[in-house]
Amino acid sequence: MASLKAIRRRIASVKSTQQITRAMKLIAAARLRRAQEALIAARPYSEALARVADSLLNAQGIDLAPAQNAEKKALVAVIAADRGLCGGYNTNIIRAGEEVLHSLQDDGFDVAFYAVGKKAVDHYRRTEAPIAVESINNAPRLATIGLARTIAARMLADFQSGAISQASIVYTQFKSALTQKPVCEQLLPVQTIEKKPDDTAAPLDYLIEPSPAELVPVVVKSYLEASIFHALLEAEASEYGAKMTAMDSATNNAFEMINALTLEMNRARQAQITKELMDIVGGAEALRG
Amino acid sequence: MAERFKVKLVTPTGVVFEGEARQVVAVGPLGEFGVLAEHINFITSLLPGVLRIERPDGPVESWVISGGLTEVKDGAMTVLANSAQTPDSIDRGQAAAEEREADQKISAMSFYDPEYPAAEEALLLARARSQAASATAAR
Repeated sequence: MASLKAIRRRIASVKSTQQITRAMKLIAAARLRRAQEALIAARPYSEALARVADSLLNAQGIDLAPAQNAEKKALVAVIAADRGLCGGYNTNIIRAGEEVLHSLQDDGFDVAFYAVGKKAVDHYRRTEAPIAVESINNAPRLATIGLARTIAARMLADFQSGAISQASIVYTQFKSALTQKPVCEQLLPVQTIEKKPDDTAAPLDYLIEPSPAELVPVVVKSYLEASIFHALLEAEASEYGAKMTAMDSATNNAFEMINALTLEMNRARQAQITKELMDIVGGAEALRG
Repeated sequence: MAERFKVKLVTPTGVVFEGEARQVVAVGPLGEFGVLAEHINFITSLLPGVLRIERPDGPVESWVISGGLTEVKDGAMTVLANSAQTPDSIDRGQAAAEEREADQKISAMSFYDPEYPAAEEALLLARARSQAASATAAR
């Protein structure tokens, strides 16, 4: 049995770890709330944009094909976190990224990654996967319009120049603080409009300025930016959700460990007292005898 | 004839304005345009500039938007701005400095430079910000 002093020291250490995990859980909870609010605030924009894109592309019936003789390459953005300590969040998203990589490779694509988050960058460096762009240190917030715009600009430029013929984003969809699901969404070529078979109503008559040919790229760009921004928001909420859950269970584990150690400590203390008593009684007997 | 119509101004970070207007003035690729009630169904892109919403009861509210799209459908207008800023949140001196900087940057550039459209957009935004800030200061 460990000595009383050693057990006491361990209890103190577990307690301070628990304090840290508890603080991290509270911070994650606060950030999660903020991320969820941002997710809700972004909804009207995406909905309105989807409607406009729908009306425009339906009215025009324009297909957005990749540039002619585009190379069979794909750019996959993987959104992970800069930091760990968030349960399986990073592992899951990186595994989903690998699956996408393999399925694209099976289709004959050359894949490069747009790695967002230190954990993704580290992983692809380690496995020597081709990284097209890396973006780390997205503190204090991951989901910024600036980052979404940077990613969108890169994808669109490569797509238009024919350097890539497909662009996707792998991110974690936020369901609740307990469940998050990694998903892959194809961004380019645009797959926004799913024509329903019964959708035979005459397209709405719109006055389109300056001209459909000039307007479609603007809509596509906005749509791309909004989709990426949405993915970033989901990823941010998921990260904090996962972190909150992980830190909550860490705090609980620390609590259980403290209980177990306290029991052990009490036993050790009693054993010591008993031993001392025996010594005293033994000594007294010896003197009397 | 209806004299007012519904307007909604949304950005990726939330709904900025939702209400009724008598007239909305914005800057499109073909120049400044106004929208009144019973406008035809209409879609256009927006350049960086000032968006003015004239309320039915008089006051005019304005925002500096950094480009976007707008749609008028069945008499209701939706403005999808990349970002919207109220003029009183803009510092006049700083905005003027930004405008000069953007101006210098673009005059040193070739028209065929791939960065040219972005620089042009930056200049338009800086100009709109600076003008909106001075207009607020003059009032």
